[in-house]
Amino acid sequence: MSMAHVAGEAGQGARTSKRSQILEDRPVNLDGFVEEWPEVGLVAMDSDNDPAPSVRVEDGVIVEMDGRQHADFDFIDQFIADRAINPSVTERAMALSAVEIAHMLIDPKISRDEVIAISQGLTPAKLLEVAKTMNVVEMMMALQKMRARRTPSNQGHTCSARDNPVQVVAEAAEAALRGFSELETTLGIARYAPLVAIAQQVGAQTGRGGVLTQCALEEATELDLGMRGITTYAETISVYGTEAVFVDGDDTPWSKAFLASAYASRGIKMRFTSGTGSEVLMGGAEGKSMLYLEIRCILIAKGAGVQGLQNGSISCIGVPGAVPAGIRAVVAENLIASTVDLECASGNDQSFSHSDMRRTARFLPQFLSGTDLICSGYSATPNYDDMFAGSNLDAEDFDDWNVLQRDMQVDGGLRHVPEAEILAVRGKAARALQGVFSYLDLPPITDHEIEEVIYAHGSKDLPFRDVLEDLKGAQSILDRGITGLDLVKALEATGFRDVAENLLAVLRQRVAGDLLQTSAILDADFNILAAVNDANDYAGPGTGYRPTGARWEEMKRLRHVMSAADPEQEAV
Amino acid sequence: MSGLNPKDDYPLGSRRPELIKTPTGKQLADITMEAVLTGEVQAEDLRIMPETLRLQAEIADAMHRPQLADNFRRSAEMTALSDTRVLEIYNALRPRASTEEELLAIATELEESHDSPLCAELVRDAARVYSRRGVLAN
Repeated sequence: MSMAHVAGEAGQGARTSKRSQILEDRPVNLDGFVEEWPEVGLVAMDSDNDPAPSVRVEDGVIVEMDGRQHADFDFIDQFIADRAINPSVTERAMALSAVEIAHMLIDPKISRDEVIAISQGLTPAKLLEVAKTMNVVEMMMALQKMRARRTPSNQGHTCSARDNPVQVVAEAAEAALRGFSELETTLGIARYAPLVAIAQQVGAQTGRGGVLTQCALEEATELDLGMRGITTYAETISVYGTEAVFVDGDDTPWSKAFLASAYASRGIKMRFTSGTGSEVLMGGAEGKSMLYLEIRCILIAKGAGVQGLQNGSISCIGVPGAVPAGIRAVVAENLIASTVDLECASGNDQSFSHSDMRRTARFLPQFLSGTDLICSGYSATPNYDDMFAGSNLDAEDFDDWNVLQRDMQVDGGLRHVPEAEILAVRGKAARALQGVFSYLDLPPITDHEIEEVIYAHGSKDLPFRDVLEDLKGAQSILDRGITGLDLVKALEATGFRDVAENLLAVLRQRVAGDLLQTSAILDADFNILAAVNDANDYAGPGTGYRPTGARWEEMKRLRHVMSAADPEQEAV
Repeated sequence: MSGLNPKDDYPLGSRRPELIKTPTGKQLADITMEAVLTGEVQAEDLRIMPETLRLQAEIADAMHRPQLADNFRRSAEMTALSDTRVLEIYNALRPRASTEEELLAIATELEESHDSPLCAELVRDAARVYSRRGVLAN
């Protein structure tokens, strides 16, 4: 029977369901979904084209890996076989079944170190096979144990659609106060970078001394800013899962490994970045699944000897998000990075869904399990200002995030801050930058701009700056060789001694190099927390990190909580 | 090897500050605001010494992170390179940026002029693999 006949109104058009219309109009139906298309790599983790795991060692060298002989290794296979996998452990580790290894991952009685003793011998295809035996609950259980640093933390984005440094300094100060331990910015106009990076640094040290800052740029430029001490870490050093795409991205595992050591040689913390879906997006997935290719990236990072990896699809989240089990694959990639003992900055940093329910579901695994940096990063401004094309979370979600922390007793790295404190820190940061700009002969920041940025929500609320003058100023920063130490002097000279001391303390860290170790961050007292002295010791109920004491009390505070002492009043 | 042990010696900056020096021989405790203002401490003092990177490599080894330790040992060698030269070599390692001869010349320079055998090995390895995989220049 035709549908028209069933509807009984042939010739007049079928009646439609009111409910269907309401569902049709739901935001989730604006999201993009596609059928799996394995030939181009549009499949999350279940592709017949992925290789079967195998390994063969001869004279201490891996000569066969995942079905390929060494003569046929592409440069990624070569790099992984030579550097990422422990040849003296691999044959024994690979002899374990994927299910046995998955059991080790989720069994709290098997320590993280015991798991790593095995994972260091696993090939990409084997790690994929392990992940395929696990559902998301099992992955989350494993992630809770395999996260490198005991204390979870969070990273924010502090950008401006106008690359307005006055906005960025205020946002960085507020973001630091709210609890982010790392901040990241990027530009609409690349040449604005010096001013925006300076603003982020000054803002961060005003909000909470010890927050680390990065400016995402082209590789050589980003390294240059780091060398000057205007930024204090780097992250967007990207690696890719097929040789063709890596070359398209104008790098190789060797150039990236050299770059990684370059950062360390200047005492600067760094991590690589990768993510499911990048190879599909760049048209070179070689018919493999997204997760298989991402696992190759994870092992490239391991082989290069970087301390950590940003992954969780990152900017490509719309790609795994479009296919079945895509978000499960994203949890898997965070888990696998942690399983090979890398710090994991776990995505949740790119808008991909119109549905509030869906974008919440997307971050829950990392939030509930805890990762080294749950978001990488959370837009601390409204999304229209986020120059990473919008994050999964933005400034308008702060109160929801804090409620979820309180609801679940889960530490998501943030806290509620009363408005008066926020306004004060935004104003102080803007005045500090005004002082720095004046001291460094940069285009001035007016008192009017400061007043507006204190109360602003986003760049639309702010007066325009003279962009051409700012760009000349930015160039002069580079030409004059201005460094982080010059910022310290500028802050001290213009009456912001405490901010200057904070920045000096962060710069001093690069002499000691303690921030180079796995998952290292600074707390509010400038103590290092790293997967060395704050190693994850989760071993089941009652163990590991749980928010208690002062931190739990802090997490209980929200914008509006009724007082127990006087139900007519709100708690202060 | 100084026999560092992460439990007692990390963070180096707070537990073993006496082991850490700046390029001009200062201690961490000498890097104060006063010293910055008098010019006693300059930007070059905020750089890590190769010895410190090798100590961090020991910590990484003790934490069973051999690749991280190797990274630190390469970076210890690279402290001797100028910022400019570092960026030049990085760019030379990008796909189709260099001929095999150019990469091998860089490796020789690293080994002979900068006492950097580990970095030289990375570059030689790249030259071999790039040659096999067709990502050298011309």
